[in-house]
Amino acid sequence: MIQDFTYLKPGTVKEALTLLTDHVDECKIVCGGQSLLIPMRQGLLVTEYLMDIKGLDELSYIKYDAKEGLKLGATTTHRAIEQSDVIKKHYPVLALMEERLASIQTRNWGTIGGNLAHADSAGDPAPVLMTLGAKVKLASAKGERIIPLDEFYTDLFESAMEHDEMIIEIQVPPPAAKMGAAYQKFNLLQNDMGVVGVAAMMTADANGTCKDARIVLGNAGVTPIRAKNAEQVLIGKKISDQLFVEAGEAAAGDADPVGDIHASEDFRRHLIKVLTKRMAKQAWEQASK
Amino acid sequence: MTTTSLAKQKLSVINTHVVNIDGIAKVTGRATYTFDVKLPGMLYGKILRSPHPHAKILKIDASKALALHGVKAVVTGKDTLGIKQGIWRRYQELCDEQILPVDKVRYIGEPVAAVAAVTEEIAEMALDLIEVDYEVLPAVYEPMDAMKKEAPTIHEGVERNINVTRHIEWGDVEKGFENADYIREDSFFCGGQAHMCMETRAAVSSFTPEGKMTIYHSNQSAYYLQALMAGVLGMREGDIRVIAQYVGGGFGGKFELDGAIFCSAILTMKLFRPVKICYTREEDFIATKRRTPMHYWVRTGVSKTGKFLAREARVVSNGGAYTGMGATALYLTGFFHSFPYKWGGYRYDGYRVYTNTLPSTSMRGFGAPQAMFCSEQQLEWIAADLGLDPIEMRRQNGHTPGYEVPGQAYIDSCGLDEAFDIMAKWIKDKGKLPENRGIGFSAAGFMSGGIFNWFDTPYSFSSAVITINEDGTVILHIGATEIGQGSNTTMAIIAAETLGCKVEDIKVHSGDTDHCPADLGAWGSRQTLMTGNAVMRACEDAKHQLLEFALAKMGLNIVYDLDIKDRWVHIVARPERGMPWEELVKIATRGKDGQRIIGRGYYTPHRKGMISPAYSYMLQGVEIEIDKETGKITLIDSLTAHDCGQPINHLGLIGQLEGAFSMAAGYGYLEYMPYEDGKLMNPNLVDYKMIRATEMPETPVAEIDTYEPEGPYGAKEAGEGLTNPTAAAIGNAIFHALGIQMKECPIRPHMIVNALKEKAEKDKTAKKGK
Repeated sequence: MIQDFTYLKPGTVKEALTLLTDHVDECKIVCGGQSLLIPMRQGLLVTEYLMDIKGLDELSYIKYDAKEGLKLGATTTHRAIEQSDVIKKHYPVLALMEERLASIQTRNWGTIGGNLAHADSAGDPAPVLMTLGAKVKLASAKGERIIPLDEFYTDLFESAMEHDEMIIEIQVPPPAAKMGAAYQKFNLLQNDMGVVGVAAMMTADANGTCKDARIVLGNAGVTPIRAKNAEQVLIGKKISDQLFVEAGEAAAGDADPVGDIHASEDFRRHLIKVLTKRMAKQAWEQASK
Repeated sequence: MTTTSLAKQKLSVINTHVVNIDGIAKVTGRATYTFDVKLPGMLYGKILRSPHPHAKILKIDASKALALHGVKAVVTGKDTLGIKQGIWRRYQELCDEQILPVDKVRYIGEPVAAVAAVTEEIAEMALDLIEVDYEVLPAVYEPMDAMKKEAPTIHEGVERNINVTRHIEWGDVEKGFENADYIREDSFFCGGQAHMCMETRAAVSSFTPEGKMTIYHSNQSAYYLQALMAGVLGMREGDIRVIAQYVGGGFGGKFELDGAIFCSAILTMKLFRPVKICYTREEDFIATKRRTPMHYWVRTGVSKTGKFLAREARVVSNGGAYTGMGATALYLTGFFHSFPYKWGGYRYDGYRVYTNTLPSTSMRGFGAPQAMFCSEQQLEWIAADLGLDPIEMRRQNGHTPGYEVPGQAYIDSCGLDEAFDIMAKWIKDKGKLPENRGIGFSAAGFMSGGIFNWFDTPYSFSSAVITINEDGTVILHIGATEIGQGSNTTMAIIAAETLGCKVEDIKVHSGDTDHCPADLGAWGSRQTLMTGNAVMRACEDAKHQLLEFALAKMGLNIVYDLDIKDRWVHIVARPERGMPWEELVKIATRGKDGQRIIGRGYYTPHRKGMISPAYSYMLQGVEIEIDKETGKITLIDSLTAHDCGQPINHLGLIGQLEGAFSMAAGYGYLEYMPYEDGKLMNPNLVDYKMIRATEMPETPVAEIDTYEPEGPYGAKEAGEGLTNPTAAAIGNAIFHALGIQMKECPIRPHMIVNALKEKAEKDKTAKKGK
């Protein structure tokens, strides 16, 4: 049963930030509610105020510029991202990730800002956006700041956001030349949350060596995890299948998973090893095309 | 039965394209389920549940809850008669469950107290205010542990927690093993499974000062619930009316007493106001019952040509805290473990053991899915061990029409042989499979209703009353329950076929104990055959009355046969000579001095052995793809070769088989109920995985043309039996794709990865050895 709360419905971002400042420690933001309402119903989360920013249309946008890259307003729905032609063209991995995110109903209502702010380590968008070097723009009544998504997640369901802040925009740099990116999660039912997920981004230089690599593990620890040792296996190397295997092994070491009913800690590491190998390979095949 | 052979030749309604008669009400949202029932002055109930797997209830203080504004009553075990009840009424020792226990709880989630309040929210808040003092007792969760001498006693006087034992034996088992060229032994474990009805358990009870009770309840057998409630409330059955409205699924989990019906009844008796209790999904998971987890040990002896000489099987099942229908599942698993084969000697010993976990009970397949998972995989391995064709090996031992399972059952119709042909062709046509693909199949059979009468009812198993109005419209009253399986449509089809009118002429009233004759309800695949026979006989009775008037009116020589088809009453030999149905009905009604034509029919099985009047047969084939590195299984394709006698309703049959396939495949590789210290770890639909549309392969069905003499128009079981073979078929597909033997279900990804690792190591050692 959901405990009673006061519902706040701001009409503008400015109004939202004022309300947030007014009720700073007793206010939760909902932006779709596809994640938040579950713990509320389970009684795990009780709040005095619930501020619904889903209606803030000024934050619902997808903008792309060859120089600036991609800008996603926080209230943009998953479905909008999935169906955006500009995203399909420049960041196909994002659209493919969205296609596998929960059900159409959830994607129609859930938003990218809400998803990232929820800080669930099993969420799909964060690992993909992290490999793409995304940043989040946070706003409070005091002002705005931009931080890399890499530094956004601090602990289990916790982020670097202050209580008077909210995400207003996600920024993704323009794709590098000769870049490939891939994401896969392991699940038993299509579109379920990942038991683990792996996103990989690789770029190739003219000689066919790996210029850069980013690998991010989902649900492999309390936050999405950059598999930096796995990246080091690949960066600057002449790529071979053996290296993908080694990167997988390194990623399994980078992971810090917890066992649960869906998979033990060991089996999660095993899955990370397999998926990292596969995703790095997929990313590389795109990059070196 | 006079029209049976004629009807077989010229069916005009049966197996035509009949849309479910409840369909429009359901898709337009007009169908009212128990959840939708709202009565004047109705209160809402909630149940406080035990947080402990095993504890004495020392004291319950409800004073704070009662002080909460809006709370009308709190009841505990002390407000009840304390009667221990169970569905095996013939055996007092198996009636072991107080729905609101007086002194002790035996599993996490067991009801301890119930609240009625003006809103559901207040009732839920009140639960937190009830103070219960427990003395926590040592608990035991696994049957193997529970049988140990030092294990805690769950039910007083039950030695080693052994709840029920069952023994089945025929032929000479020892001699069979002596003569066997090859003997194989395997141990298996089959997990539990949640019934997972779309509609969770729900009840609205209303007791009036006249001493009469009316209960709306989502159930599979209104009559069982009526009788069981009469027992626990100390009332006469007739003073209790149970109404099963539209029911959102049952699957074997809704014909016993549950907390919703019992607690709402106790509360309404205290308050004289209707009380509604609807379970949340979590309550449905943790506090109803589940498919019985079973440890299986199987030893099989065959000749080198694959003749089945002897089998010995032992089962230890996790009974959970109470008996429920688990005793029947324990028997049926042993019986169906022999299916569908002729064994030289067969011996089965089953032990059902109490533990401090959720009770286990009947669930679609009733013990047979576990039996087939073990039997059909072991047979596949035996065929491989001996280099025999798995289809031909099975075929030479398969049931045939006229076979008697010694002392147990008589097989009349049996289309197994054709099923083997169909499966062999399907597999052959598949040709060479792509890498990481495998095909497996499994055989199974199932019953068409149970003959065993442990409920000890004095009523016939099924009855029907048909009333024909003067305008030719028809009212059918049956106690059978429509739970989404299409029973009402099936009965309307049988009635229309027998009377000679159309389906849209028939209005079906079912599942209401006041207005319908008693019927044991929808379990064990009994309604098509048993209620179907009752309906057919009731219609034959009415039709006979009608045709007397037709013969007189038409002034015919009495040797002429008359019949009615498509609302046309006619001479069989001269179909153009006749009169319209409505005209005959009017004439007959006038002729009876204005009495409506009423036909009555009933069915109770006789001379059909001790299990079931008829058996269906099936082979399920599946093609799967396996990711060798992650162990993930994907269902690619399937084929069902199916003998259900004469299908009554093709559309309904296909729907039932699709549902059975998805539930059975889910049992094979997805649906998993992990417990930690007696607590279910995934009581929600995020963490409990069931097949969705995206995971379903095509499920084509090849119907085998057979005729079951005991069934209405030759029909027998359909829709439950197909839950039996699929888990084994998946196991066999894995075996053929990867050469590994999966002895536990659900077959989860890490098990495949580990088995492959073990196999690789074994292969390596074997190579070194050479």
